[in-house]
Amino acid sequence: MLPAQLGRAPRHLLVCERSHARHPRSRHAAHVRDHAYSCRVSFLIPECGVLPEVVKSTIADIGDYYLVRSLPVHELVTHEFIDAFVKKGSCYALSYKTKIDQDNTAALLPNGKLILSVDKGTYEELGLQGRPSRYSGKKVMRYIITIDLTDAGFQPESKKHNRVLWALKEKKPLEFDFLLAWYNTGAEGSTLMSYFSKNQIQALKPKITFSTLRDLQCPVLQSNDLQGKPEESCSTEELFEWLGAVLNQVSLDNKSSSFLSTYCCPEPNTVVEKAFLCTITGFIIPEKIIQLLEQLCSYFSEPKLAYWLTLTVHGFADSPVSWRESEHGFHKGGENLYNFVIFRNLDYWLQMAVGAHDDCPP
Amino acid sequence: MAAAAFERRVLRRAAEHHYLRVRLELPDGGARPNAAQFKQLVVTALRELHGEVGAALPVDVLTYEEKTLSAILRVISSGLVKLWSALTLLGFYQNRRCAFRVLQVKPCGAGWLPPDVSSGSKLGRLPKPTAFS
Repeated sequence: MLPAQLGRAPRHLLVCERSHARHPRSRHAAHVRDHAYSCRVSFLIPECGVLPEVVKSTIADIGDYYLVRSLPVHELVTHEFIDAFVKKGSCYALSYKTKIDQDNTAALLPNGKLILSVDKGTYEELGLQGRPSRYSGKKVMRYIITIDLTDAGFQPESKKHNRVLWALKEKKPLEFDFLLAWYNTGAEGSTLMSYFSKNQIQALKPKITFSTLRDLQCPVLQSNDLQGKPEESCSTEELFEWLGAVLNQVSLDNKSSSFLSTYCCPEPNTVVEKAFLCTITGFIIPEKIIQLLEQLCSYFSEPKLAYWLTLTVHGFADSPVSWRESEHGFHKGGENLYNFVIFRNLDYWLQMAVGAHDDCPP
Repeated sequence: MAAAAFERRVLRRAAEHHYLRVRLELPDGGARPNAAQFKQLVVTALRELHGEVGAALPVDVLTYEEKTLSAILRVISSGLVKLWSALTLLGFYQNRRCAFRVLQVKPCGAGWLPPDVSSGSKLGRLPKPTAFS
C-alpha cells in the first residue's frame, strides 16, 4: 500500500481565460509578448485543405535565428552590443543545451535583463548580487542573478558595469552556446551575423511541417462557456487533452471495451472531413507569434466552415523564465505552454499551463 | 455581436490524467512485443509490484511504435506513482532482461513535446528538443 501523499500528482496549473480578440483591453498580445522563449508553434485549422496565402507568407517570414558556439557571457554586457542590439529592438538570447536543474544557464530578455541561473559554486566565485532560487529547497544550491543592461547606472565605465565585466571576464569566465534572435522595426543596423562574425555563428531556419488530417473528430465548443455543458459543448480541459492527442497522432476512435486504449474524443463532437495542421520548430520570438495570431484571426474575415481554430505554443523546458521574469524550473517536465482557441466571432480562449516549478501565469 | 466578457479560471492540480512517454529497452535480436503484448507487459509490471489491485489500474497505450519500442501511456493522476514505480522495477520480458525508460511525464495532454526529442539522456530527464541539430 502506497502512502496517501504519493497518490497526489505534482502540482500543475492550467489557467483559462476567455475574451474577445478585438476588445480594447484584451491582454492576449501581452501574454504572448511576455512569454519570451518558444520552441514550437503549432496551429490546427479544421475544415481547411489549403492554407490562405497570407498565412503562408507569415510562416515563410517567421524569421531566422542564430546559434553562436562558445560565446563568453561578457560579450553580451559590452556597450557595443547593448547599443547595437539591446537598445535598438528586441534581443533574445538563451543558452543552448543547458539544463536548468543541473547546469549554469543564461538568458537575455528583450527588456534588457540578463538572467543567470547558476549553481552555488559559480555564484560564490562570480561575486555578483543575486537571490536564491525559489525551487532549490531548504539548502540553497542555485542562485538567480538579474542584471539590467538598460539601467541608468549601467553606463560604460560606471562602477557597476566594471564590476559585472570583471566578474564575467576575469573572475569566473562563463561561456555558453547561445541561441540568438533580434527583432527591430526601424532602420537596418548591423546584424547579429556580422557582429559575431569572429565567433562561430550559424544562421538557422525554423523547421516547418504541414499535414492534412482526414476525418478528424473535433469537440464541439461554445465560445462563451469555458466549463462546457454535458450534451452541448466540451470544456477547456477536455479540449486541451484532445489537442495533445491530435498533435501526437493518437487514434481517437477507440471503443470503451478496447484493450489497448480507452481514450476517445470528448462528447459531443463532429467529424470534419479534413483539418490542416502546421508545426514550426525553432527559436521563435513572440513578435512573430503575434503576427501569426493576427493572420489567423483574419482567417475568419471571410466566411469559413470552421467554427474555431487553435494555436499552441510550447516554451523551452529549460529556460530560466516562463512568463515575464518569473522563475521557471524543470521538476518533472518543465512544461510552460499556452494555447489559443480562436472562434469565428473572434472570441478567444487562452489556456496557459505550467508545471510544478513555476509561478502562476500572469 | 457584443464583445465577450472577460473570464478567468485557474485550475490547480486539475489534470485527471498524466501522460508518460516511455521506451522499452531490450537486448538486440529476439521478438519485439506488438501493441497488445506491450500493454500486457505494462499490466504484468503493475501486477508484480502492486498485486491484483495494481493490475486493475486503468492505463491506456495511446501510441506505440514497434520499431522504436516507444509508447505514450495515459494513466489516472492518482495512479501515476504506481505506474512509474512498476515500470521502473520491471526487469524481464519473456525471460530476457529489459528496462523501461521514462522519458517524459506530463500532466496535460497538449504538454507533450514532439517525438523527435532526443532520448539519450538519463531517466526522467530530457534535454531541450533537438530541432536545431
